[in-house]
Amino acid sequence: MIKVLLRLTSARIAIGALLAIALITVFGPVLAPYDPLQGSDLTLAGPSAQHWLGTDYTGRDVLSRILAGAPLSILSTLEVTGIALVLGTVPGILSVYLGSVFEWVSLRLIDTLVALPFLVFAVAMTALLGNGITQAMIAVGLLVAPLFYRVARAATLTVARSQYVEAAVLAGASTGWIVRRHVWAKVLPPIAITLATTLGVGLVVISSLTFLGIGVQPPAPTWGGILASDLDYLPQKAYAPIFPAVIILVTVLAFNMLADAIRDAAGQSGRALVGAKAARANRARRVAA
Amino acid sequence: MATLTGPDLRRIRTRRLAVSVGKPLAVFVPVFLLGTFFTFLLGHLSGRSPAYIQLGDAATPEAVAAVEHEWGLDRPFLVQYVDWLGDILRFDLGESWFNGHSVAAVLLDRAVITLSAAGVALVIGVVAGFALGALAARFHATWVDRAVTGFTTTISVLPPFVVGIALVAVFAVSLDLLPAAGYVPLEAGLGPWLSHLILPALALSFDTVADVARQLRDGLVSARRENYVTGAVVRGLDPRRIFFVHVLRNGVGPALAVLGLKFPALLGGAVVTEAIFGLSGYGVFATQAAIRGDVPAVQGVLVVSVVLVVVFNLVVNIVLNRLSPAAARGV
Amino acid sequence: MSQAPAVESGPAPAPATDAHPDDVLVLDGVRIHDDLSDTELVHGVSLRLRRGGVVGIVGESGSGKSLTCRAVLGILPDLIEVSGGSITLLGRDTATLTRRDWTALRGASIGAVFQDPASYLNPSITVGRQLQEVLRVRGGLSREDAHRRAVELFDAVHLREPEQVYRQYVHELSGGMLQRVLIAIAISLDPEILIADEATTALDATVQAEILDLLAELTERLGLALVLVSHDLAVVAQLCDEVLVLRDGHVVEQGPTGRILHDPQEEYTRLLVAEHEQYGLERYLTPEPSHV
Repeated sequence: MIKVLLRLTSARIAIGALLAIALITVFGPVLAPYDPLQGSDLTLAGPSAQHWLGTDYTGRDVLSRILAGAPLSILSTLEVTGIALVLGTVPGILSVYLGSVFEWVSLRLIDTLVALPFLVFAVAMTALLGNGITQAMIAVGLLVAPLFYRVARAATLTVARSQYVEAAVLAGASTGWIVRRHVWAKVLPPIAITLATTLGVGLVVISSLTFLGIGVQPPAPTWGGILASDLDYLPQKAYAPIFPAVIILVTVLAFNMLADAIRDAAGQSGRALVGAKAARANRARRVAA
Repeated sequence: MATLTGPDLRRIRTRRLAVSVGKPLAVFVPVFLLGTFFTFLLGHLSGRSPAYIQLGDAATPEAVAAVEHEWGLDRPFLVQYVDWLGDILRFDLGESWFNGHSVAAVLLDRAVITLSAAGVALVIGVVAGFALGALAARFHATWVDRAVTGFTTTISVLPPFVVGIALVAVFAVSLDLLPAAGYVPLEAGLGPWLSHLILPALALSFDTVADVARQLRDGLVSARRENYVTGAVVRGLDPRRIFFVHVLRNGVGPALAVLGLKFPALLGGAVVTEAIFGLSGYGVFATQAAIRGDVPAVQGVLVVSVVLVVVFNLVVNIVLNRLSPAAARGV
Repeated sequence: MSQAPAVESGPAPAPATDAHPDDVLVLDGVRIHDDLSDTELVHGVSLRLRRGGVVGIVGESGSGKSLTCRAVLGILPDLIEVSGGSITLLGRDTATLTRRDWTALRGASIGAVFQDPASYLNPSITVGRQLQEVLRVRGGLSREDAHRRAVELFDAVHLREPEQVYRQYVHELSGGMLQRVLIAIAISLDPEILIADEATTALDATVQAEILDLLAELTERLGLALVLVSHDLAVVAQLCDEVLVLRDGHVVEQGPTGRILHDPQEEYTRLLVAEHEQYGLERYLTPEPSHV
């Protein structure tokens, strides 16, 4: 399936963009030309040779702040997604095997989490439990976990009740073989899609929280925080939000493109899209003959 | 199959009705209880206390204990919870630790503002989402389908606060077409009311538009592949009728279901859009209260959110069950 | 291993130009091609159906019998087309029909029932309303008249308590009842032809027999021409005047039912008959001395 994936152009673009973002995350602070915390007299300047993206309201270099903000934003997103993955997938798979009480209770818990308006609860949880980024990540991870729960549960249900697994067991196949051959193939793709989608969602939520000033200690740079200060000075510099917005958007878009590409590669629509063109060519040839 | 007489049929119909309303209720009552419990637990775990807010520097241990006793905070956890829950069911959301005002009264005013924005966003989401989804399904697997899907994917990843800032920058600051901030009540006229709400609503709606469009398209495409469409075709029904009466009715399910899921997101998104557009809705209130450590206020907001979502989902589920009774038989 | 092309015994199907006024359906060398895999799926099927006649098409899964039915109804799947030969439906060449022509023909001139009746009805609307819809929209009846006529039709297909069935949903009815509903819908506009594609396959044995009896009764009473498609020779033997045996898209053998059953010329046909004799086909064979 990975081979099919890499053949899709959308996947290649997404992976390329994500590799670039990864590089920025790792090397960002080192690559920053100026100290992101260092102000200067040159406030709200436009892009120039010395400051490629201009400066902000205290004269700090915007490019440096964006590069320095990458690790916090991206790593938080990764941690949020990781927490959601564990908190969601494990109960999801277990809900199929641990009996109806566990199933009912976990289903109602998940329904509740889904019903809670995201940001309101994230804000509440983060602020009330001590305004740190760790609290924010746990809160958001918890609120995003239902996505993984539902996907893992649905996929496991399909496999557990499928006839080909039953047939394999009857034919004497070992559990390991069944897991490798059938379970992985059915459960992994939906989880992978959800993972990619959640990375996108997580980044948006983290950016929103830092935008509101929750979970971050100023003056540490974060992409959301940069957007917030740009908003205050919009009349003076209306185009300023473009820079942090673009990098957030590109990253989120890349995550979602990857998710869609995995979905196409794992499913049928990819084959249908490829097949229809070939079919039209065959028909043309036949009619002309 | 046993033959059915009149009274039997009537009994079956009432049972059908009860199931289509009762099943959603049975799911949402536990959700409401769990949601409120979670909210209360959160407040309790925060370890915040009105004492520090009210006393400030004069917070000696005795003074703190006295204040906390006054507020009933030294009672066992479960007692407090049951007491609080009882108040909730009587629409009493407690008093703010910050200024002693009734939380319920404050929230009522602010909720109107938030719900107005969310409401307009919902309408945009449904109208635009249905239009795009139906368009993509009608021209399935052609460039129109691909264009619409690409468009919806793009707008779905645009976070509300980014879109909001962009809209303010373009329409309010640069072009000066629409107000950048503030709220005007409906009584002052539809025009002003809408002009203040259209930008925040638009910013909130993108995610909903994209999801509704995607779900409707998928639902319609898969409904069209079903055998009952073939059945309708061989009966000599025309394509228009088949689409509106048969395909749409069965294909709209996932799109309606996703509306129920999106509503929490709309309410949550309000938190940032209100910050951007200067609307004094309850999202902003939540942020301020949370930063101040005003636990009852925050709890009030959370409970209201839970109730709003539960009620909305209830309505959506009942509508779904009436439209597609077959779905009521499933999970 | 592909078979040799059709060996026609008995009266060979005359070319389309020799049309008989009583012909309701003529297939002449129909070929069906799949553009996706670029292969031909049906290699020249010919048959001639007269008013009130009953023709059977027998074959295993994948023999092309369902595709042939769909071609006659104009509902071949995407990327699959009639690539050769002609289909003449009530004197009209189907290749010349527009979408609107097809819609007009379906229901009023030709009806169909399929396997798995439950899936061919809308699960969200009562079955009665679905029959009423056809009568209103195509038959021009008022709501009340359509309702009444629908109940009459349900009664004609021997549904007990037709008024109650009218108000049931698909998931509340058994397979046999649903197939009767579909038959009622299929004949509601008085078509000349009815196609039954594996109509009894998913049903219990006793119900199968009842449905076949119903089809026989309708054929006789309404002068309906019937195309009965099945993988089961016994089903076909009960009702049909003429039988086509299909295998891998080829017509292996074709002719009057009696001759096919008693004196099959092809190896494959002999196999089918022999198989069925094990399961009691003799009841359908006339008491003639036969050495198979």
